[in-house]
Amino acid sequence: MADKSEAERGEDAKVSISPSIPSGNDTVWADVSSLFRLACNDLRSDELISGENFNLFAAMSALEIMDPKMDSGIVSTYYSVDEAIDSGAAPIPLSFDRTVDVQRVIDIMDHLLACEATWHKGGSLAQTVFSCIYLLRPERTSFHALLHSFCRVIRTTCNTVVSAVSDARTNEEEDLFTMAYGLPLKADGDDKCLSMLHAVEETISRQLKACKAPLSKRKVLEDVEPLQTNLDLEEGFCKAVLCRLRFRKHLYHVLTCMRRPQGKGLELAKKHITSCLCELDSMLKSAEFLRDHCACGTLEDGAEDKTTASGCQPIGFDSTLNSRSAAPTPPRAIKLLSWTKAVNYFQKLLHDLDIICSYSLDPVFEGALRFVVDFQKLQPDLVARAYIQLLLVQEGKLYGREPMFAVICRAALLPEGAKNHDVQKNETVGQLGQLLISLLRILCTNTAWQRRKLGKILQDWRIIYVQLELAFRKEFGDITNTSTDQNLCLKICKHILIWVEEQTYWIALRFLVLGFELELYSTSEYCMVYWYIYVILIKLAEKTHLKMMLSNDSTGRRKSKKKRDFVKDVGKDYQIPPSVLLLQCYIYIAEGLMMMLASLRNENKIFLCLGPFNTEQERFIQHFELLQKACLPDHASYFSFRETTAHARFSTLSEYNCFKDAQRMAKELRGNFANDPDRMAELRRIEQVAEHNCVALNLLCRLGTLEPSLKISFEFIHHPHFAVAAVKRS
Amino acid sequence: MEAEEGKAEFEASEIDYVSYGGEHHLPLIMKLVDQELSEPYSIFTYRYFVYLWPHLSFLAFHKGKCVGTVVCKMGDHRHTFRGYIAMLVVLNPYRGRGIATELVSRSIQVMMESGCEEVTLEAEVTNKGALALYGRLGFIRAKRLFRYYLNGVDAFRLKLLFPRPEPNYSGSALPTGDDAQGLDEGKHYVVT
Ligand SMILES: CC(C)(COP(=O)(O)OP(=O)(O)OC[C@H]1O[C@@H](n2cnc3c(N)ncnc32)[C@H](O)[C@@H]1OP(=O)(O)O)[C@@H](O)C(=O)NCCC(=O)NCCS
Repeated sequence: MADKSEAERGEDAKVSISPSIPSGNDTVWADVSSLFRLACNDLRSDELISGENFNLFAAMSALEIMDPKMDSGIVSTYYSVDEAIDSGAAPIPLSFDRTVDVQRVIDIMDHLLACEATWHKGGSLAQTVFSCIYLLRPERTSFHALLHSFCRVIRTTCNTVVSAVSDARTNEEEDLFTMAYGLPLKADGDDKCLSMLHAVEETISRQLKACKAPLSKRKVLEDVEPLQTNLDLEEGFCKAVLCRLRFRKHLYHVLTCMRRPQGKGLELAKKHITSCLCELDSMLKSAEFLRDHCACGTLEDGAEDKTTASGCQPIGFDSTLNSRSAAPTPPRAIKLLSWTKAVNYFQKLLHDLDIICSYSLDPVFEGALRFVVDFQKLQPDLVARAYIQLLLVQEGKLYGREPMFAVICRAALLPEGAKNHDVQKNETVGQLGQLLISLLRILCTNTAWQRRKLGKILQDWRIIYVQLELAFRKEFGDITNTSTDQNLCLKICKHILIWVEEQTYWIALRFLVLGFELELYSTSEYCMVYWYIYVILIKLAEKTHLKMMLSNDSTGRRKSKKKRDFVKDVGKDYQIPPSVLLLQCYIYIAEGLMMMLASLRNENKIFLCLGPFNTEQERFIQHFELLQKACLPDHASYFSFRETTAHARFSTLSEYNCFKDAQRMAKELRGNFANDPDRMAELRRIEQVAEHNCVALNLLCRLGTLEPSLKISFEFIHHPHFAVAAVKRS
Repeated sequence: MEAEEGKAEFEASEIDYVSYGGEHHLPLIMKLVDQELSEPYSIFTYRYFVYLWPHLSFLAFHKGKCVGTVVCKMGDHRHTFRGYIAMLVVLNPYRGRGIATELVSRSIQVMMESGCEEVTLEAEVTNKGALALYGRLGFIRAKRLFRYYLNGVDAFRLKLLFPRPEPNYSGSALPTGDDAQGLDEGKHYVVT
């Protein structure tokens, strides 16, 4: 609270009311200083007046002034950047000893790398990269060509990354990342950073050449002034500086090439990625030399968390300088990644980007979906996820090339001609395209956010289905004569509707399995989760199958009856498509796990959901609320779950072992996916899960209830979504 | 229970549980929370809770010494009336004996009787002890909050739904709005 003298001073001060928040309908701004002063007289320290709209956020935003943990206004070292500079915190040159000068510049380069990686990993720009005083005053460095060009390329790169991430913007994760707090992200002349960098690189490579040349040749090169004064160390320093400069150059190229429209720069970006990785290796190799010849004397242990290769503390940084602009977040001292970790981060980023650049831009939507889903398994960070999204969705088209209606037609297995049909002008069809775009974007976000969003859009997909049905019926009514056009239109409608259903179940499945990756389920809930996965999978397989049969029917290649029970009733002449059989494999596994867990619950009385305040039904409702609201599938309820599982017994499971079926089917499918390594790996995982659980189930059937001391746990050692039972004697 | 190193020796019956009783309890709560949770709370945060919902906060005493506390609130949140557990702490030597379970259960009981439909809280994904404790009480992990805490760690939003009077769950409820990350209204800064 303000002390008395403060309050009194307020009396004289003219308070002009020009609030940044305008008055609303029911609110006006009023000067409450006098009321406030009166209240101050009555209140004792720490007391609180709470109004109706005083909420928790307000309470938590209250700061205790002069508490260094809370008050970001507290001055730690310098009041301002200028004061810091005046006090010599960021001298130029960094030293009059040119060797020391180079050493210090290298330290700055390294520390900036650590800052940049920390920023990418969730720190704020103000507290990381822009804690560098040299960056904050762009004009000051102009007399130091090396530092100047480096600062420019850093600012430009940050700017490029900020704009990529904000263009991809999908959730609040990006807010903190892109918040630049009025930092000088774009200084005059930064656009010329590459040519400056190039000039400096030229000079230093000449210096390197000069110092490596045999004595006889040195004469010719004598006009080349060395980088620094200690000629024994010239080669080492030249090399250390060069790889750092070149890394920046190539990284900048990678980031800009990847932004070229329609993925046209991906090839080139790949080349720069290779160069970047190579320069990072050289940087790692330079560390030993820099440590041996560091400016700050011998080092204690713990070089692992140093932010520079040399192990020295860099000069010219103050992370508290921006802290006032970084408010209202409490000014936590953020922990920077070490230099080695930062290098590792960039290696990972570059590998992730390389995968994006190597992508074939598969025009088939399903291919694009699998690509993002597989990419997410690598746990890419924000920047890589922004770039994959920018590649997938550009100007409302897939890869900026394929109009969404064409993508939908292909996904719905319609003939080529369909994509030009007028039905695409229908508003609802246009909305479907939008839904598809937002699905793609959601799939590029962090998995925690992704799952929440997927849960919410399920409803949209259900609604669009109904709307499409209506729209198609209307569209249809408008065509009076029975023309070929009408036939095509009918066909398009049928295909798209089936595909929308299939896609909806695909989203539902992804929603459910992401729960495992995010560790949202406890073991006692696995039974209901696998039950739900099982019923969703059945629907998904059914719709996929229907879609494929529809296209077979219409292409006339095969005439076959639509089979309701497509799994059990396989006609002799009819081959179920491999993609459907793969789903059948998952169905067997999910069913097997559900029944094994149900038997354990029924017979061994373990993994039950018991609590003093609610029942299993409440857990079910909460976990599957969004699916239930969207009627996915119809009639799936807690009671159907109970019905399916309440009577499960090991005695019946032993006769019908789903895991065996899964294993057999996965083996058979190998031939179908021989040229798809990702699918082959997935089949292998399924086989392992099936095999492992088969053994566990046999064991449990033989001695489950007889031996109450058995310890049973479920682990995700073979597959991220399908657990294997571990049975141990305790 | 055997006396481990640093563990207090006591009988469960020696622990007294009391509801927040006024100003004299405030420093006890603050001291406990400050000691065990690294995040700084201003005095206003404490006051906000204990003044508005004194009946939802409890303290555990052993021979006059405060060894555990729970601080909560409740209110409307997007068309549901829900309880919220803000802080829960038990002194290290007194852990593992059901004190936290008893404290939270008392708060939850009052929330249920006050007409709450559900109870929520956030916990760090790494806080295995707290997660197990709430799991046993019927909480589910409703969602994962990416880098929720300022130390970069993810959190789980835990939820306990009370049984509804009507036997059938109707799916007519409005879809929940966007997810503002936060301790109901703001960002939660608890770090353990
Ligand atoms: C989390 C915390 C509050 C738990 O306190 P606690 O009093 O130890 O909790 P409980 O005793 O009720 O339950 C913990 C364990 O004791 C066991 N337990 C419960 N009653 C018991 C009893 N009567 N006798 C023996 N053990 C018992 C529980 O089974 C549980 O064991 P497990 O989790 O190892 O399986 C405490 O560890 C703490 O203060 N942590 C730091 C702050 C924190 O993390 N707060 C939560 C933020 S969300």
